[in-house]
Amino acid sequence: MRLQATEEGDLLVEEIPPFLLQLIRDIPVRAGSNHPRAEARFFPDPSIDDDLVEDWKAFVQPELLTLFQADRETVRADVRGAREEGGGFSLRIPKNHSDAWLGALNQARLAIAEEGGFEENDIAEDVSPDPEDPRAMALFQLGFYGFLQECLVRMQD
Amino acid sequence: MPSLDSPEIETQDAAGLDAPWNVVVHNDPVNLMSYVTLIFRRVFGFSREKAEHHMLEVHQRGRSIVWTGGREKAELFVQQLQSHLLLATLEKAQP
Repeated sequence: MRLQATEEGDLLVEEIPPFLLQLIRDIPVRAGSNHPRAEARFFPDPSIDDDLVEDWKAFVQPELLTLFQADRETVRADVRGAREEGGGFSLRIPKNHSDAWLGALNQARLAIAEEGGFEENDIAEDVSPDPEDPRAMALFQLGFYGFLQECLVRMQD
Repeated sequence: MPSLDSPEIETQDAAGLDAPWNVVVHNDPVNLMSYVTLIFRRVFGFSREKAEHHMLEVHQRGRSIVWTGGREKAELFVQQLQSHLLLATLEKAQP
């Protein structure tokens, strides 16, 4: 897989093997997790003040939910635009979509970590993808999404 | 001496509302250090050095007070940080 910034500031991802393209397609799916631990992490209480928490749930969290959904839809649409080239696929992430990608990637990583109960040591583990080992697959996916996120952050720096 | 039903309690409540609030960011093993730094720079307009200082404080000490001031603005900052999926809360600042 090859990544490069275009003159317009888009991120061009080329020579994506089918296996990694599938992981990229999974970003909005993983990010949209409704696992109770993932949902609790997406929408943390802002305070120990009960009144504030109640207001937050009523007024702020619906806005956050809408924002997260919009990020996932942006990513889904961009991934639908992936084209087959040679032995792999290519994908363009427009500059003005990079925030949505950062958000969706972050949400997906948080969901994977919460669903797997992964701690800092697990996340630091160097794993190879093994379809027979769900834990290794989840940690590989977490690391791959982190790599994509890091590339997008560097482009914004 | 004010009587028990004097309006002094209301005055204290109003003072309580004006008291400063801290915006606190808590450690999270998943969020990338570079991402947290980027969000601090964006939300608060911090320099890279200041953003990295707070990011490291979160990472090493488990939490960092990233802003202190009026409650309304503190709530807005927490909302912005949570929209980027940082673990952010607000709390009354210690007098």
